[in-house]
Amino acid sequence: MSGEMILFVAFLLLIGGLSHIVPGLTRPDLFFAVTVAPEFRRTTGGQRILRRFRAIVWSSTLVAIAIQLLAGMPLAAGLILGGGFLWALVSSHGRALAYAVSPSPILEVDLAAPREGLPGGPMVAALPVLFLGGLGLWAGLHWDRLPRRFPVHWGLHGADRWVATTPATVAGFLALFAGMCLLSIGVAWGLLHWSRRISTSGEGAAAERGFRRRIVQLLIVTEYFLVLPAWFTVFQPSAAAVNVWGLALTAVIAAFTVSLLRGGQGGSRATVAAGPSGRPAPKGDRTPDACWKWGLLYVNPADPSILIEKRFGVGYTLNFGNRWTWVMLALVLVPVAAGLVLLR
Amino acid sequence: MILRIDLQSSIPVYRQIVDGLRILLVNGEMKAGDQLPPVRRLALDLGVHFNTVAEAYRTLEREGWLEIGRRSGARVVSRAVPEYADPETGETFQRRLRELAAEMQARGFPRDRIARELRCLAESLERS
Repeated sequence: MSGEMILFVAFLLLIGGLSHIVPGLTRPDLFFAVTVAPEFRRTTGGQRILRRFRAIVWSSTLVAIAIQLLAGMPLAAGLILGGGFLWALVSSHGRALAYAVSPSPILEVDLAAPREGLPGGPMVAALPVLFLGGLGLWAGLHWDRLPRRFPVHWGLHGADRWVATTPATVAGFLALFAGMCLLSIGVAWGLLHWSRRISTSGEGAAAERGFRRRIVQLLIVTEYFLVLPAWFTVFQPSAAAVNVWGLALTAVIAAFTVSLLRGGQGGSRATVAAGPSGRPAPKGDRTPDACWKWGLLYVNPADPSILIEKRFGVGYTLNFGNRWTWVMLALVLVPVAAGLVLLR
Repeated sequence: MILRIDLQSSIPVYRQIVDGLRILLVNGEMKAGDQLPPVRRLALDLGVHFNTVAEAYRTLEREGWLEIGRRSGARVVSRAVPEYADPETGETFQRRLRELAAEMQARGFPRDRIARELRCLAESLERS
Protein backbone atom coordinates (compact mmCIF):
# COMPACT_ATOMS: atom_id res chain seq x y z
CA MET A 1 0.00 0.00 0.00
CA SER A 2 1.43 3.40 -1.00
CA GLY A 3 2.04 6.23 1.45
CA GLU A 4 -0.64 8.32 -0.25
CA MET A 5 -3.16 5.49 0.08
CA ILE A 6 -2.42 5.14 3.82
CA LEU A 7 -2.76 8.90 4.30
CA PHE A 8 -6.09 8.98 2.49
CA VAL A 9 -7.48 6.05 4.51
CA ALA A 10 -6.29 7.78 7.71
CA PHE A 11 -8.07 10.93 6.53
CA LEU A 12 -11.31 8.99 5.95
CA LEU A 13 -11.04 7.47 9.45
CA LEU A 14 -10.41 10.92 10.94
CA ILE A 15 -13.54 12.30 9.25
CA GLY A 16 -15.53 9.28 10.48
CA GLY A 17 -14.22 9.81 14.03
CA LEU A 18 -15.03 13.53 13.98
CA SER A 19 -18.54 12.77 12.67
CA HIS A 20 -18.94 10.33 15.57
CA ILE A 21 -18.22 12.95 18.24
CA VAL A 22 -19.75 16.02 16.60
CA PRO A 23 -23.34 15.58 17.96
CA GLY A 24 -21.91 15.93 21.49
CA LEU A 25 -20.25 19.25 20.71
CA THR A 26 -23.40 21.31 20.17
CA ARG A 27 -25.04 23.47 22.82
CA PRO A 28 -26.87 21.29 25.39
CA ASP A 29 -30.29 22.65 24.30
CA LEU A 30 -29.74 21.61 20.69
CA PHE A 31 -29.85 18.08 19.34
CA PHE A 32 -29.32 17.52 15.61
CA ALA A 33 -30.13 21.20 15.06
CA VAL A 34 -33.45 21.01 16.92
CA THR A 35 -34.24 22.85 20.18
CA VAL A 36 -34.86 20.18 22.83
CA ALA A 37 -34.87 19.92 26.61
CA PRO A 38 -31.22 19.68 27.80
CA GLU A 39 -31.80 16.22 29.29
CA PHE A 40 -33.32 14.85 26.06
CA ARG A 41 -30.04 13.57 24.65
CA ARG A 42 -29.78 11.15 27.61
CA THR A 43 -33.29 9.70 27.14
CA THR A 44 -34.07 6.49 25.20
CA GLY A 45 -35.42 8.51 22.25
CA GLY A 46 -32.30 10.68 22.09
CA GLN A 47 -29.93 7.72 22.40
CA ARG A 48 -31.77 5.85 19.63
CA ILE A 49 -31.38 8.78 17.21
CA LEU A 50 -27.70 9.11 18.13
CA ARG A 51 -27.00 5.37 17.65
CA ARG A 52 -28.68 5.41 14.23
CA PHE A 53 -26.66 8.49 13.18
CA ARG A 54 -23.39 6.85 14.18
CA ALA A 55 -24.29 3.56 12.50
CA ILE A 56 -24.87 5.36 9.17
CA VAL A 57 -21.69 7.42 9.55
CA TRP A 58 -19.47 4.38 10.26
CA SER A 59 -21.13 2.25 7.56
CA SER A 60 -20.42 4.93 4.94
CA THR A 61 -16.86 5.37 6.29
CA LEU A 62 -16.16 1.65 5.94
CA VAL A 63 -17.67 1.52 2.44
CA ALA A 64 -15.56 4.55 1.45
CA ILE A 65 -12.38 2.88 2.77
CA ALA A 66 -13.22 -0.36 0.94
CA ILE A 67 -13.72 1.52 -2.34
CA GLN A 68 -10.42 3.32 -1.89
CA LEU A 69 -8.51 0.16 -1.03
CA LEU A 70 -10.08 -2.11 -3.64
CA ALA A 71 -10.68 0.26 -6.56
CA GLY A 72 -8.39 3.21 -5.74
CA MET A 73 -11.17 5.76 -6.39
CA PRO A 74 -10.64 8.65 -3.92
CA LEU A 75 -13.36 10.85 -5.43
CA ALA A 76 -15.99 8.11 -5.15
CA ALA A 77 -14.81 7.31 -1.61
CA GLY A 78 -15.10 10.97 -0.59
CA LEU A 79 -18.55 11.30 -2.15
CA ILE A 80 -19.81 8.19 -0.35
CA LEU A 81 -18.46 9.42 2.99
CA GLY A 82 -19.92 12.93 2.49
CA GLY A 83 -23.22 11.58 1.21
CA GLY A 84 -23.51 9.16 4.13
CA PHE A 85 -22.82 11.95 6.62
CA LEU A 86 -25.44 14.22 5.02
CA TRP A 87 -28.02 11.44 4.96
CA ALA A 88 -27.31 10.60 8.62
CA LEU A 89 -27.59 14.26 9.64
CA VAL A 90 -30.71 15.14 7.66
CA SER A 91 -32.59 12.00 8.73
CA SER A 92 -31.56 12.45 12.39
CA HIS A 93 -32.70 16.09 12.21
CA GLY A 94 -36.08 14.93 10.90
CA ARG A 95 -36.43 12.41 13.76
CA ALA A 96 -35.35 14.91 16.41
CA LEU A 97 -38.02 17.39 15.23
CA ALA A 98 -40.64 15.13 16.86
CA TYR A 99 -39.11 16.04 20.24
CA ALA A 100 -38.76 19.80 19.61
CA VAL A 101 -39.75 22.15 22.42
CA SER A 102 -40.37 25.88 22.35
CA PRO A 103 -37.35 27.91 23.40
CA SER A 104 -37.66 30.47 26.16
CA PRO A 105 -39.25 33.70 24.85
CA ILE A 106 -37.08 35.70 27.27
CA LEU A 107 -34.03 37.36 25.75
CA GLU A 108 -31.35 38.95 27.88
CA VAL A 109 -28.57 41.31 26.86
CA ASP A 110 -25.75 42.50 29.08
CA LEU A 111 -25.48 46.21 28.34
CA ALA A 112 -22.06 46.38 30.00
CA ALA A 113 -20.51 43.49 28.03
CA PRO A 114 -16.88 44.22 27.11
CA ARG A 115 -16.30 45.34 23.55
CA GLU A 116 -14.42 42.91 21.35
CA GLY A 117 -11.97 43.79 18.61
CA LEU A 118 -9.47 42.24 16.22
CA PRO A 119 -6.42 40.91 18.12
CA GLY A 120 -3.65 43.48 17.82
CA GLY A 121 -5.96 45.94 16.07
CA PRO A 122 -6.99 46.37 12.43
CA MET A 123 -3.40 47.00 11.30
CA VAL A 124 -2.31 43.48 12.31
CA ALA A 125 -5.13 42.06 10.19
CA ALA A 126 -4.40 44.38 7.23
CA LEU A 127 -0.63 43.76 7.17
CA PRO A 128 -0.68 40.54 5.04
CA VAL A 129 -2.82 42.25 2.38
CA LEU A 130 -0.43 45.22 2.36
CA PHE A 131 2.47 42.76 2.11
CA LEU A 132 0.89 41.18 -0.98
CA GLY A 133 0.46 44.64 -2.50
CA GLY A 134 4.14 45.39 -1.76
CA LEU A 135 5.14 42.06 -3.28
CA GLY A 136 3.21 42.92 -6.46
CA LEU A 137 4.97 46.28 -6.60
CA TRP A 138 8.38 44.67 -6.09
CA ALA A 139 7.64 42.10 -8.82
CA GLY A 140 6.68 44.92 -11.22
CA LEU A 141 9.91 46.81 -10.52
CA HIS A 142 12.17 43.73 -10.73
CA TRP A 143 10.46 41.78 -13.48
CA ASP A 144 13.79 40.49 -14.87
CA ARG A 145 14.58 38.80 -11.54
CA LEU A 146 11.43 36.69 -11.55
CA PRO A 147 11.66 33.03 -12.71
CA ARG A 148 10.22 32.17 -16.16
CA ARG A 149 7.53 30.01 -14.56
CA PHE A 150 6.23 29.68 -11.02
CA PRO A 151 4.31 27.03 -9.05
CA VAL A 152 0.61 27.47 -8.31
CA HIS A 153 -0.08 24.16 -6.61
CA TRP A 154 1.82 22.00 -4.19
CA GLY A 155 1.25 18.31 -3.43
CA LEU A 156 2.87 15.81 -1.09
CA HIS A 157 6.00 15.77 -3.25
CA GLY A 158 6.35 19.53 -3.73
CA ALA A 159 5.15 21.79 -6.56
CA ASP A 160 3.08 19.88 -9.11
CA ARG A 161 1.52 22.63 -11.24
CA TRP A 162 3.29 25.57 -12.88
CA VAL A 163 2.30 28.56 -15.00
CA ALA A 164 4.38 30.90 -17.18
CA THR A 165 5.32 34.21 -15.53
CA THR A 166 3.25 36.92 -17.18
CA PRO A 167 1.71 40.11 -15.72
CA ALA A 168 -1.71 38.40 -15.77
CA THR A 169 -0.61 35.22 -13.95
CA VAL A 170 1.37 37.15 -11.29
CA ALA A 171 -1.55 39.55 -10.73
CA GLY A 172 -3.98 36.63 -10.63
CA PHE A 173 -1.83 34.72 -8.14
CA LEU A 174 -1.53 37.71 -5.81
CA ALA A 175 -5.25 38.57 -6.19
CA LEU A 176 -6.15 34.99 -5.25
CA PHE A 177 -4.21 35.20 -1.99
CA ALA A 178 -5.38 38.76 -1.32
CA GLY A 179 -8.96 37.53 -1.76
CA MET A 180 -8.41 34.71 0.72
CA CYS A 181 -6.85 37.14 3.21
CA LEU A 182 -9.82 39.48 2.77
CA LEU A 183 -12.12 36.52 3.35
CA SER A 184 -10.33 35.80 6.66
CA ILE A 185 -10.56 39.45 7.72
CA GLY A 186 -14.21 39.64 6.65
CA VAL A 187 -15.17 36.55 8.64
CA ALA A 188 -13.21 37.74 11.71
CA TRP A 189 -14.86 41.17 11.50
CA GLY A 190 -18.26 39.58 10.95
CA LEU A 191 -17.87 37.34 14.01
CA LEU A 192 -17.06 40.34 16.17
CA HIS A 193 -19.58 42.80 14.78
CA TRP A 194 -22.27 40.96 12.79
CA SER A 195 -23.03 37.89 14.91
CA ARG A 196 -25.30 37.43 17.91
CA ARG A 197 -24.13 36.77 21.44
CA ILE A 198 -26.10 33.85 22.85
CA SER A 199 -24.90 33.79 26.45
CA THR A 200 -25.00 37.28 27.92
CA SER A 201 -23.78 36.95 31.46
CA GLY A 202 -21.61 34.91 33.81
CA GLU A 203 -19.43 31.95 32.89
CA GLY A 204 -21.37 31.21 29.71
CA ALA A 205 -20.69 34.68 28.29
CA ALA A 206 -16.98 34.47 29.19
CA ALA A 207 -16.68 31.01 27.58
CA GLU A 208 -18.45 32.27 24.46
CA ARG A 209 -16.13 35.30 24.25
CA GLY A 210 -13.12 32.96 24.56
CA PHE A 211 -14.51 30.73 21.81
CA ARG A 212 -14.99 33.70 19.50
CA ARG A 213 -11.52 35.05 20.31
CA ARG A 214 -9.91 31.70 19.41
CA ILE A 215 -11.69 31.57 16.04
CA VAL A 216 -10.68 35.16 15.25
CA GLN A 217 -7.06 34.39 16.22
CA LEU A 218 -7.12 31.32 13.96
CA LEU A 219 -8.37 33.44 11.05
CA ILE A 220 -5.67 36.08 11.51
CA VAL A 221 -2.89 33.46 11.92
CA THR A 222 -4.14 31.67 8.78
CA GLU A 223 -3.98 34.98 6.93
CA TYR A 224 -0.28 35.28 7.76
CA PHE A 225 0.30 31.72 6.56
CA LEU A 226 -1.48 32.56 3.31
CA VAL A 227 0.99 35.23 2.28
CA LEU A 228 3.92 32.80 2.39
CA PRO A 229 3.07 30.89 -0.84
CA ALA A 230 3.10 34.24 -2.66
CA TRP A 231 6.51 34.99 -1.15
CA PHE A 232 7.72 31.48 -2.09
CA THR A 233 6.67 32.12 -5.68
CA VAL A 234 8.78 35.23 -6.00
CA PHE A 235 11.84 34.03 -4.09
CA GLN A 236 11.73 30.31 -4.99
CA PRO A 237 12.65 28.73 -1.64
CA SER A 238 13.79 25.11 -1.24
CA ALA A 239 11.28 22.25 -1.15
CA ALA A 240 12.15 21.78 2.52
CA ALA A 241 10.95 25.32 3.35
CA VAL A 242 7.64 24.64 1.59
CA ASN A 243 7.25 21.39 3.54
CA VAL A 244 7.99 23.16 6.83
CA TRP A 245 5.37 25.75 5.93
CA GLY A 246 2.81 23.00 5.17
CA LEU A 247 3.54 21.16 8.43
CA ALA A 248 3.45 24.35 10.50
CA LEU A 249 0.10 25.38 8.96
CA THR A 250 -1.33 21.90 9.63
CA ALA A 251 -0.07 21.97 13.23
CA VAL A 252 -1.55 25.43 13.90
CA ILE A 253 -4.94 24.50 12.43
CA ALA A 254 -4.93 21.18 14.34
CA ALA A 255 -4.08 22.94 17.64
CA PHE A 256 -6.86 25.48 17.23
CA THR A 257 -9.31 22.75 16.13
CA VAL A 258 -8.57 20.62 19.22
CA SER A 259 -8.95 23.67 21.44
CA LEU A 260 -12.31 24.57 19.84
CA LEU A 261 -13.59 20.99 19.98
CA ARG A 262 -12.69 20.72 23.68
CA GLY A 263 -14.77 23.83 24.41
CA GLY A 264 -17.69 22.70 22.24
CA GLN A 265 -19.94 25.03 20.26
CA GLY A 266 -19.78 28.55 21.68
CA GLY A 267 -17.61 27.23 24.54
CA SER A 268 -20.81 25.69 25.95
CA ARG A 269 -19.20 22.39 27.04
CA ALA A 270 -17.17 24.27 29.63
CA THR A 271 -20.28 25.48 31.40
CA VAL A 272 -22.69 22.56 31.00
CA ALA A 273 -21.86 21.04 34.36
CA ALA A 274 -22.19 24.37 36.14
CA GLY A 275 -25.45 25.32 34.39
CA PRO A 276 -28.68 25.70 36.35
CA SER A 277 -30.85 22.59 36.42
CA GLY A 278 -34.61 22.43 36.03
CA ARG A 279 -34.86 25.44 33.76
CA PRO A 280 -38.42 26.23 32.69
CA ALA A 281 -37.56 26.34 28.96
CA PRO A 282 -34.36 25.78 26.99
CA LYS A 283 -32.65 28.82 25.56
CA GLY A 284 -31.27 27.08 22.47
CA ASP A 285 -29.29 29.42 20.26
CA ARG A 286 -31.99 32.08 19.98
CA THR A 287 -32.84 31.28 16.37
CA PRO A 288 -36.17 29.73 15.33
CA ASP A 289 -36.12 26.00 14.45
CA ALA A 290 -38.27 26.73 11.39
CA CYS A 291 -35.50 28.85 9.82
CA TRP A 292 -33.01 25.95 9.72
CA LYS A 293 -33.31 24.01 6.45
CA TRP A 294 -32.35 20.35 7.05
CA GLY A 295 -30.56 21.56 10.16
CA LEU A 296 -27.75 22.98 8.02
CA LEU A 297 -28.77 26.21 6.27
CA TYR A 298 -30.05 29.22 8.18
CA VAL A 299 -32.47 31.37 6.18
CA ASN A 300 -34.12 34.14 8.18
CA PRO A 301 -34.76 37.49 6.44
CA ALA A 302 -36.04 38.97 9.74
CA ASP A 303 -32.72 38.35 11.52
CA PRO A 304 -30.15 41.15 11.07
CA SER A 305 -27.23 38.76 11.83
CA ILE A 306 -24.97 37.82 8.92
CA LEU A 307 -22.98 35.15 10.77
CA ILE A 308 -24.70 32.77 13.14
CA GLU A 309 -23.54 29.84 15.27
CA LYS A 310 -23.92 26.52 13.50
CA ARG A 311 -26.47 24.23 15.08
CA PHE A 312 -24.51 21.13 14.14
CA GLY A 313 -20.76 21.16 14.50
CA VAL A 314 -18.49 23.86 15.84
CA GLY A 315 -18.17 27.31 14.28
CA TYR A 316 -20.34 29.69 12.35
CA THR A 317 -22.48 29.72 9.24
CA LEU A 318 -24.18 32.42 7.17
CA ASN A 319 -27.71 33.75 7.38
CA PHE A 320 -28.67 33.21 3.75
CA GLY A 321 -31.91 35.13 4.26
CA ASN A 322 -30.04 38.40 4.86
CA ARG A 323 -29.37 40.27 1.60
CA TRP A 324 -26.17 41.75 3.06
CA THR A 325 -24.78 38.21 3.34
CA TRP A 326 -24.89 37.94 -0.46
CA VAL A 327 -23.33 41.39 -0.89
CA MET A 328 -20.46 40.46 1.46
CA LEU A 329 -19.99 37.09 -0.25
CA ALA A 330 -19.76 38.79 -3.64
CA LEU A 331 -17.26 41.38 -2.36
CA VAL A 332 -14.98 38.70 -0.95
CA LEU A 333 -15.31 36.11 -3.72
CA VAL A 334 -14.80 38.47 -6.68
CA PRO A 335 -10.99 38.83 -6.14
CA VAL A 336 -10.68 35.05 -5.61
CA ALA A 337 -12.64 34.32 -8.81
CA ALA A 338 -10.64 36.97 -10.72
CA GLY A 339 -7.39 35.39 -9.51
CA LEU A 340 -8.48 31.92 -10.62
CA VAL A 341 -9.53 33.22 -14.07
CA LEU A 342 -6.19 35.02 -14.57
CA LEU A 343 -4.27 31.90 -13.57
CA ARG A 344 -5.97 29.66 -16.15
CA MET B 1 -26.78 45.54 33.67
CA ILE B 2 -29.13 43.14 32.00
CA LEU B 3 -31.88 44.18 29.61
CA ARG B 4 -34.61 41.54 29.48
CA ILE B 5 -37.14 41.24 26.63
CA ASP B 6 -40.16 38.90 26.47
CA LEU B 7 -40.93 37.96 22.86
CA GLN B 8 -44.34 36.56 23.82
CA SER B 9 -45.44 39.71 25.56
CA SER B 10 -48.21 41.78 24.00
CA ILE B 11 -46.05 44.86 24.63
CA PRO B 12 -44.06 45.81 21.49
CA VAL B 13 -40.33 45.07 21.69
CA TYR B 14 -39.34 48.71 21.23
CA ARG B 15 -41.57 49.62 24.23
CA GLN B 16 -39.96 46.87 26.31
CA ILE B 17 -36.50 48.22 25.44
CA VAL B 18 -37.58 51.74 26.48
CA ASP B 19 -39.15 50.47 29.73
CA GLY B 20 -36.17 48.24 30.56
CA LEU B 21 -33.62 50.99 29.96
CA ARG B 22 -35.72 53.53 31.87
CA ILE B 23 -35.71 51.28 34.95
CA LEU B 24 -31.89 51.12 34.79
CA LEU B 25 -31.71 54.91 34.35
CA VAL B 26 -34.16 55.76 37.12
CA ASN B 27 -32.48 53.34 39.54
CA GLY B 28 -29.12 54.92 38.82
CA GLU B 29 -27.62 51.70 37.43
CA MET B 30 -26.82 53.71 34.31
CA LYS B 31 -25.30 57.08 35.02
CA ALA B 32 -24.54 60.21 33.04
CA GLY B 33 -21.61 59.54 30.71
CA ASP B 34 -22.33 55.81 30.35
CA GLN B 35 -22.32 54.55 26.79
CA LEU B 36 -25.14 52.36 25.51
CA PRO B 37 -24.39 49.52 23.07
CA PRO B 38 -24.52 50.63 19.42
CA VAL B 39 -27.93 50.19 17.78
CA ARG B 40 -26.58 47.43 15.53
CA ARG B 41 -25.03 45.49 18.44
CA LEU B 42 -28.20 45.55 20.55
CA ALA B 43 -30.42 44.70 17.55
CA LEU B 44 -28.20 41.72 16.66
CA ASP B 45 -28.17 40.42 20.22
CA LEU B 46 -31.94 40.73 20.54
CA GLY B 47 -32.57 39.48 17.00
CA VAL B 48 -34.76 42.47 16.15
CA HIS B 49 -34.65 45.05 13.35
CA PHE B 50 -32.21 47.96 13.73
CA ASN B 51 -35.14 50.41 13.53
CA THR B 52 -36.72 48.84 16.63
CA VAL B 53 -33.68 49.69 18.76
CA ALA B 54 -33.14 53.06 17.05
CA GLU B 55 -36.75 54.04 17.81
CA ALA B 56 -36.31 53.03 21.47
CA TYR B 57 -33.16 55.15 21.76
CA ARG B 58 -34.90 58.11 20.09
CA THR B 59 -37.80 57.85 22.57
CA LEU B 60 -35.35 58.03 25.49
CA GLU B 61 -33.56 60.90 23.79
CA ARG B 62 -36.87 62.81 23.61
CA GLU B 63 -37.38 62.12 27.32
CA GLY B 64 -33.99 63.71 27.97
CA TRP B 65 -32.13 60.57 29.11
CA LEU B 66 -29.85 60.10 26.12
CA GLU B 67 -27.77 62.06 23.69
CA ILE B 68 -27.37 60.41 20.29
CA GLY B 69 -24.42 61.30 18.11
CA ARG B 70 -23.79 60.04 14.60
CA ARG B 71 -20.29 58.82 15.51
CA SER B 72 -20.34 58.67 19.30
CA GLY B 73 -23.53 56.56 19.56
CA ALA B 74 -26.01 56.77 22.45
CA ARG B 75 -24.72 58.23 25.72
CA VAL B 76 -26.53 58.80 29.00
CA VAL B 77 -26.78 62.48 29.96
CA SER B 78 -27.67 64.11 33.27
CA ARG B 79 -31.33 64.92 33.30
CA ALA B 80 -33.14 67.47 35.41
CA VAL B 81 -36.16 66.00 37.19
CA PRO B 82 -39.24 67.55 35.58
CA GLU B 83 -41.84 69.47 37.57
CA TYR B 84 -44.58 67.40 39.21
CA ALA B 85 -47.09 66.44 36.54
CA ASP B 86 -50.57 67.92 36.42
CA PRO B 87 -53.39 66.07 38.28
CA GLU B 88 -54.72 64.55 35.08
CA THR B 89 -51.38 62.86 34.30
CA GLY B 90 -51.17 61.72 37.93
CA GLU B 91 -54.56 60.03 37.57
CA THR B 92 -53.42 58.34 34.36
CA PHE B 93 -50.42 56.77 36.12
CA GLN B 94 -52.58 55.79 39.08
CA ARG B 95 -54.98 54.03 36.71
CA ARG B 96 -52.08 52.26 34.96
CA LEU B 97 -50.80 50.96 38.29
CA ARG B 98 -54.25 49.59 39.15
CA GLU B 99 -54.58 48.06 35.69
CA LEU B 100 -51.22 46.37 36.11
CA ALA B 101 -52.20 44.94 39.51
CA ALA B 102 -55.51 43.72 38.03
CA GLU B 103 -53.67 42.07 35.11
CA MET B 104 -51.31 40.31 37.51
CA GLN B 105 -54.31 39.05 39.49
CA ALA B 106 -56.07 37.93 36.31
CA ARG B 107 -52.95 35.97 35.31
CA GLY B 108 -53.01 34.06 38.59
CA PHE B 109 -50.57 35.99 40.76
CA PRO B 110 -51.69 35.61 44.42
CA ARG B 111 -52.93 38.85 46.02
CA ASP B 112 -50.37 38.66 48.81
CA ARG B 113 -47.54 38.39 46.27
CA ILE B 114 -48.81 41.45 44.36
CA ALA B 115 -49.04 43.34 47.64
CA ARG B 116 -45.52 42.24 48.54
CA GLU B 117 -44.17 43.43 45.17
CA LEU B 118 -45.87 46.79 45.58
CA ARG B 119 -44.52 47.13 49.13
CA CYS B 120 -40.99 46.33 47.89
CA LEU B 121 -41.36 48.95 45.18
CA ALA B 122 -42.67 51.53 47.65
CA GLU B 123 -39.82 50.83 50.06
CA SER B 124 -37.14 51.14 47.34
CA LEU B 125 -38.76 54.43 46.19
CA GLU B 126 -38.70 55.79 49.74
CA ARG B 127 -35.08 54.72 50.19
CA SER B 128 -33.99 56.47 46.99
